[in-house]
Amino acid sequence: MTVRPVITRDQGSEDRDQGASPELSPLTADLSRRRFLTVLGVAGAGSAALSGCSTAKVEKLIPYLVQSEDQVPGIPTWYASTCTECSAGCGVHVKTREARAIKLEGNPEHPVNAGTLCQRGQAALQGLYNPGRIKGPLQKQRGAFQSLLWDEAIGRLAQQFQNARGKVAVISGAGPGSFDDLLAAWTQAQGGRLIRYQPFDRAPERAANLRVFGLDELPLYDFATARYIVSFGADFLETWGPVIEQQRGFAQSHGFNGKSMARHVYAGPRMDLTAMNADEWHPLLPGSEASLALGMAGVILGERTTAPQDANALAASLAAYTPEKVAQDTGLTPDAIRKLAREFVSAAPSLAVAGGIGAQHRGAVDLCAAVAILNYVAGNVGQTVRFGAGLPKPDGYAAMQQLIAAMNAGEVTAVLVHDANPLYALPRSARFAEAFAKLPFKASTSLFLDETAAACDLLLPAHHALERWDDLRPRAGVLGLMQPVMTPVFDTLAPGDVLLRAAQKTPDLKAQFPAPSFEAHLKQKWAELARSRGAADTEQFWRDALQHGGIFNGAVATPPAVRLVPTVPTVLTAPSFDGDGELILLPVPSSMYFDGRGANRPWLLENPDPVTKITWGSWAELNPETARRLDVREGEIIRVTSPHGSIDVPVYVYPGVRPDVVAIPLGLGHTEFGEYAKGLGVNPLDLLGAGSVEGFLPYVATRVSIATTLGFHKLAKTEGNPRQLGRHIAEAMPLAHAEQGYTVEESLKQVGEEEHAVNTAREAEAIAGFRASQVEKTKLGAYAEELPKWGMVIDLAKCTGCSACVTACYAENNIPWVGYDNVTRGREMSWMRIERYFEGGVEPGEPFAARVVPMLCQHCDNAPCEPVCPVYAAYHTADGLNGQVYNRCVGTRYCSNNCPYKVRYFNWFPFAKRAFQAPLDLQLNPDVTVRARGVMEKCTFCVQRIRGAQHQARLEDRPLADGDVRTACQQACPSGAIVFGNVKDPESRVVRAAEDHREYHVLGELNVRPSVTYLAKVQA
Amino acid sequence: MRKLVVVGTILSAAALVVLLPVLRSGSAQQPPALADSLAAPRLSVADSGSLRGPRQPIFFRHDIHAGQYKMQCQYCHYSVGASSEPGIPTLQTCMGCHTVIGGTDSTHRAEIKKLRQFWSDSADASKPKLEWVRIHSLARFAHFPHMRHVKAMGPNACQTCHGDVARMAQVFKVNNVNNMGFCISCHLTRKVNRDCTACHY
Repeated sequence: MTVRPVITRDQGSEDRDQGASPELSPLTADLSRRRFLTVLGVAGAGSAALSGCSTAKVEKLIPYLVQSEDQVPGIPTWYASTCTECSAGCGVHVKTREARAIKLEGNPEHPVNAGTLCQRGQAALQGLYNPGRIKGPLQKQRGAFQSLLWDEAIGRLAQQFQNARGKVAVISGAGPGSFDDLLAAWTQAQGGRLIRYQPFDRAPERAANLRVFGLDELPLYDFATARYIVSFGADFLETWGPVIEQQRGFAQSHGFNGKSMARHVYAGPRMDLTAMNADEWHPLLPGSEASLALGMAGVILGERTTAPQDANALAASLAAYTPEKVAQDTGLTPDAIRKLAREFVSAAPSLAVAGGIGAQHRGAVDLCAAVAILNYVAGNVGQTVRFGAGLPKPDGYAAMQQLIAAMNAGEVTAVLVHDANPLYALPRSARFAEAFAKLPFKASTSLFLDETAAACDLLLPAHHALERWDDLRPRAGVLGLMQPVMTPVFDTLAPGDVLLRAAQKTPDLKAQFPAPSFEAHLKQKWAELARSRGAADTEQFWRDALQHGGIFNGAVATPPAVRLVPTVPTVLTAPSFDGDGELILLPVPSSMYFDGRGANRPWLLENPDPVTKITWGSWAELNPETARRLDVREGEIIRVTSPHGSIDVPVYVYPGVRPDVVAIPLGLGHTEFGEYAKGLGVNPLDLLGAGSVEGFLPYVATRVSIATTLGFHKLAKTEGNPRQLGRHIAEAMPLAHAEQGYTVEESLKQVGEEEHAVNTAREAEAIAGFRASQVEKTKLGAYAEELPKWGMVIDLAKCTGCSACVTACYAENNIPWVGYDNVTRGREMSWMRIERYFEGGVEPGEPFAARVVPMLCQHCDNAPCEPVCPVYAAYHTADGLNGQVYNRCVGTRYCSNNCPYKVRYFNWFPFAKRAFQAPLDLQLNPDVTVRARGVMEKCTFCVQRIRGAQHQARLEDRPLADGDVRTACQQACPSGAIVFGNVKDPESRVVRAAEDHREYHVLGELNVRPSVTYLAKVQA
Repeated sequence: MRKLVVVGTILSAAALVVLLPVLRSGSAQQPPALADSLAAPRLSVADSGSLRGPRQPIFFRHDIHAGQYKMQCQYCHYSVGASSEPGIPTLQTCMGCHTVIGGTDSTHRAEIKKLRQFWSDSADASKPKLEWVRIHSLARFAHFPHMRHVKAMGPNACQTCHGDVARMAQVFKVNNVNNMGFCISCHLTRKVNRDCTACHY
């Protein structure tokens, strides 16, 4: 009688559902009298036990029919798979419990992500269990969707495509792999055209490499070995390229290694997360970056004799870009440009990168070409810039424009859309929706009812990547496999099976596509691959690949010899902008919502933007100067108007954006796409023109005017104050001090700042006395036992503030999201949060910078929360944890009031009830209690993982080893900034990491003795 | 037809004769209290209403399986030594024996017939599934790792909390496992971890 997805259907395990709290259980939730009687009537025998005054419900245990070989109740089963949330193709390990996926973690063997996973990858689970998923095949009849059987739906697809033979098109966002190959062959057999469409496709870079090197491809950039990194608007920590791999490399080179670190310079109009991590930020006008790159190349070529021989041909043309000329274009001083160029070339190998949506103006190819020249002149090509990577080549915006024209001309009459949402991702002015609506037949395999799917006639909802067989070739040498890790949540079908079954229903295609299922097709392809690799046992080859998540030692083509095209043009034309408004519109790619596909995941909506700390909605960033001029304040709604449209959006005043620019994040403003995304925020694409430049869509190409409105919308920010106000929460020191081995205190003294208010001699004596008494106490009772003491070290020189840890914590610990209203009231439950503090930028000309510090329960040895709890719900465990016993908590909130770090979170409402509405509740971690209303909660140092590791060690009769326990945040961190372990073990990694002169405790002067040690950030 | 039943009975009896020594030899670690256990009483499903504990869809006799035949608990509750969950036996586990063993008297045969019916109906989604009534259900804010207790106290630790199931014709709750004092008294006596976060997290 309870409506549960099919997962438990034939394999009902011990249906214990520990994770769900009693009020979530379907039997007791909203148990109206009518429903109670219905239950009685149906339950029959069970009703006898329900009678009487007992409120305990009768639980049923449904045994498996046949013991599943790979599922033991209570023990997680892990599957290796591949993430499909962006085109990077990271490897994942999927943790399943009782046959349902509950957590995604990085695959340590995978070369792209090496065991870590970003927030978008983590949130793939909320795609799998999204309540907005299409629950079965649908067809549109008289304007409304009606369900039909799969066989009918596929028959309709086959019939319509056969009728439209030759006038067929398929739009696909799938990456290269066996499915893509099949789709191409299938489309070709239908006489149709296949358009591989990725909104964020880096087309300008490919065009630039074709222009400069004659290579129509994207290189891989090696951030790990680069000693000097200059980014010209490329947000390499957010959405541009394989961000996890880049962040890992960046942390390796830019994190202080005890002796030195790379320097990072960012040139772009807005301080995004990547620029926040730069040591130097130059807010250049969009379009002037290319001049700086050519100017640097000119200085290098003029002063350096070791530049590649063929680069000298450029000397004459680059001579036009003297530092003085570039200074005019960019506003930098000529000396600064010379210094930048000299540092760049002397710190070999260095790396310059350009691209990204934030720098995709009409001169984007010029910019990328200029940066390619800069890299070549500095000798970085072949060192940190490696061609031959075999990264996928989507068809790009021009192909979509041709498709729109063909649809309008009637050359295309039937379209299948797979894994793409062009109706949302294309500017409205491209008029895709109008052309699409004219088509007699359009079908979609979308998992969700997104904008495109809503406009379709037939919906063939696909399996989620975690429910199907597939593979992915994100680059040369990497072949990732996907396998179904659970029974599909809804009545969906693998898109490969849709194609094969449609071919079976098309008489002339039958013979060409004989595979009985996509699984069989895939296995056959892999058997061919195994034979081509000389594997004796193809079955063994397949099993090995499946176990490891793919094969990662594939043959990489030898990198091509990269030579300059002799006639490479270096003349720059200033990019033009549509309209005559006073501000340039800068659409900002969001590291949470990406190209819009993340907007229906509450984990991503509630994970604050790393820069502005805004959740649940859009905002427009204005420089304080501009805001003053327009007389607007934060939260006031402005109307942003371009020649192509206008949107109303609340203001966020941000010193990290140029005064002549207004920045609005991409990815929100959906008109469909489920209950979470629909109607939330605005879409700046509505302001863009549809014209393409060299085949790509210029995102930064519009001038807008601003008009004030009377509206106000409170921004749901999670920060208390953007400034540190002398509290010394996020500490930093210059590289020179770090090289000298200064402590934070010594470094602050050097710059003329005292770290903390000095304690008086009396206070110091009292603290010393307290510490001595604490040491005495550790010799008593349970504390005297040979127990570990858990501690954590967070290296701020590595932490970039990307917020992957935040979503990992939500996923591991059943943390409910609370929504816009509650975030505006400061009720978010984020156990792990990234605090971002601005530095400078107040006085005109004062450099502006930002620091981040991950903030979680500090598990203080002298915790202020513990003595104030009247019921001992907050107490200290013998192994050094600050325990929180949910069933003891009565909700006085004294602990939260007494916590100086504000890391305790209170369930003001039954948040879990809404956050884990079916089927999202299937994601709940059974090892963690779901907290009820009125209960305080906070970071537990992943105590369930600690206890789990202790159980395992005890079963194996061995002591706990260093590294057995990894917290969820540590596991996810792409930078490796978090180390966790037993601080009583002098050999443990956490102790060795803490032995650093940069160590400090946040608010250490309060003598709360935190277990989390921070290592100060180092600024090169 | 009648002949077949007789043959079936003979076969099952033969199987019991063959199986019993195996089961006995595997029960060397049974506690001494059970060594002299008597044959389980003859009861029919009609008696189950007067017995303690909830009626189950099949009148499964722990006293016959664990008592009279001295089968180890872990034979059916297979994951108790490795996992926090003890594991409910699959229907296949039941059928492993009951394909051959049809029961010695009419009351047994009636119950085994129900089991076989559930098994043969299992392919048909519209037919009812076997749903045991749960007896011990721990509060969801407490975590009880069965494997740690079996590891520490041996394979016969079960009766410490679950009572002498081997003598129960119908299983009933002997101890309230949600009474924390019950847990703590044992942890006190045995001088083991009494930290809150050992169980509550």
